[in-house]
Amino acid sequence: MIEVTHVTKTYGKKQNAFLALDDVSFKIPTGTTVAILGKSGSGKSTLMHAMSGLDRPEKGSVIIDGENILTLKQKAVDAFRASKMSFIFQSFFIQPRETCYDNVSLPLEIAEVPLAERRKKVDAALAAVELSDKKRSRAGDLSGGQKQRLAIARAIVNEPKILFADEPTGNLDSVTGGVVEDFLFNYSKTNNATLIIVTHDPDLAKKCDAQIEIKDGKVSAIRGLQTGAKK
Amino acid sequence: MKITDTIRRAGRSLKQAKARTLLTSLAIGVGAFTITLSLAGGQGGRDYADAIVNSNTDVKELTVTKAVEESAAVAEYVEDGAGTATGPFAAAQGLEYITADDLADIEKIDKVERVTPNYAPSVDYITTEGQKKYQATVSTFSPSVTLTYAAGSVEGDLKNDQIVLTEEYAKALGFENTADAIGKTVSIGVTKLATLYTTQDKKEFNFVVKGVSSASGLAFRSQSSQLVTNDAAKDMYTYINEGTPVFNKFFLVAVEVADASDAESVKQALVDDGYDAQTAADVLGTVNTFINVLLGVLLGFGALAVLTSIFGIINTQYISVLERTQQIGLMKALGMSRRDVGRLFKYEAAWIGFLGGAIGSGVAFIAGTIANPYISDALGLDTISLLIFQPAQFVIIIVGLMLVSVGAGILPARKASKLDPIEALRTE
Repeated sequence: MIEVTHVTKTYGKKQNAFLALDDVSFKIPTGTTVAILGKSGSGKSTLMHAMSGLDRPEKGSVIIDGENILTLKQKAVDAFRASKMSFIFQSFFIQPRETCYDNVSLPLEIAEVPLAERRKKVDAALAAVELSDKKRSRAGDLSGGQKQRLAIARAIVNEPKILFADEPTGNLDSVTGGVVEDFLFNYSKTNNATLIIVTHDPDLAKKCDAQIEIKDGKVSAIRGLQTGAKK
Repeated sequence: MKITDTIRRAGRSLKQAKARTLLTSLAIGVGAFTITLSLAGGQGGRDYADAIVNSNTDVKELTVTKAVEESAAVAEYVEDGAGTATGPFAAAQGLEYITADDLADIEKIDKVERVTPNYAPSVDYITTEGQKKYQATVSTFSPSVTLTYAAGSVEGDLKNDQIVLTEEYAKALGFENTADAIGKTVSIGVTKLATLYTTQDKKEFNFVVKGVSSASGLAFRSQSSQLVTNDAAKDMYTYINEGTPVFNKFFLVAVEVADASDAESVKQALVDDGYDAQTAADVLGTVNTFINVLLGVLLGFGALAVLTSIFGIINTQYISVLERTQQIGLMKALGMSRRDVGRLFKYEAAWIGFLGGAIGSGVAFIAGTIANPYISDALGLDTISLLIFQPAQFVIIIVGLMLVSVGAGILPARKASKLDPIEALRTE
């Protein structure tokens, strides 16, 4: 369960202050797939950053499994992210000069998973995205769709309970995009993991259990979820 | 992140920028090269000096001169002053003679076994039957001085009618080869100084050749001198100088003590009595001071090269941080702590230092090993190596340079660790 309560984030100071998130509240039950919808600049990415502890809003709380990650120390937030969350980005952010294996192994190294277990998990993750045969290939040699699948393998290798995807299909054509979507939804279903997709694509959003629409830093509509706090 | 994984990732990152890594580490390698060679040269130089001093001096022997006070540099002229150097040479040097009285005094000092004045008779020539006369210098033979013999050899002490010739003189005197000279008789001609302007008294002393010494990298005196016993030298000295004002007055006397451990106490006693005394250790110390100064200069150059390379490392690592902003952002998003990100970049710097140290000292070792025989040959050192490499030095140099590199990597590492992941991952 992720509870977002009265989260407010301001960028800039005084006259130039810009309200990126304005009193945002909602609750996401574990295992739900949620789309955060909004135009660019609406604050949807900021919301994702706040929910993952990358950013620290000045007001409100983000309670994940009973723990407010906004009040945790930096180290604890890092450890929390390493063990429970993962990310998929629009531009993949894979390391093109490293092998696929090394790319996928990174989160496990960060989480200090022992070597033998690491090998098994990397193999399993690569198999899950059907890239087993590319294990020793340079990541930079992969096609766009393969790169995003590699990014998914990296994201799911440590079996996170929460998966953030920031425009996961934004750089892909509809066919490869569809494949990537399937992998994401599949993972969420089989592992009962919460999937949060940040997107401006209404078609992708419709495939999710719930939708949160953001406009000018405020929640303008929520479908399929209960609101976190009373206004 | 585990340290081994961090080290491996750091190494891999460097491998992805091979040219840059190599160039940066070459800069530090120049420093490593200089430092390795100067340390090897210093070690070799000290060992060489040690060998020279050991084979030319006796640990039981002190070299004694008369102490000259600073004020004595401008000394009042005393008519026929006893113990004052006469002649322009002695006066210019500000030296004073050690007289027979002084010798007796020195002999009385506790633990002193023997006092031997340095008889250096200025002989006129050396010759052998049917040969020309050649100018020569004669010194005294000492069993504690190691000689290399081209032919013959002297076991223990030389006899009073025996001489050790140098290789050049053996050839000049017409012997077919050095071995041929052994057992032959040579004559040394001297002139009585006191009668120089009147009767021109001259005399020849005859010696049997006992050995022929060859030039040695270890010999620093007597290399061009023919060697006779102290008594024979004394005989010639007496004949030459008797009747002159400087007769039985010496600049230099050798004092032999009962045991090597007494050298220091005797030296102190001599200094208290107004003499300057040098032990074998003092001589070695003087030579070593010189070597250390030279070594210090070379090390300074090496340190300068390392200092320059520090800026190279800082620069390279800063560029690396900028280039890999997204990678750093991703690692942080995946939960890598600030400390681990900083560590990753520090280890990269350490790798650069390791590479530079290994390349520099490795090349120095190879170059030194190849050059060593040529250097020894050029300086006539025979089997002595002037460059001595010690494994521990390599370890110290490499580890030291790794630490220096990590130091240089601190600032870029800090920049990396402070990077805001949100900024780093912005796609626009």
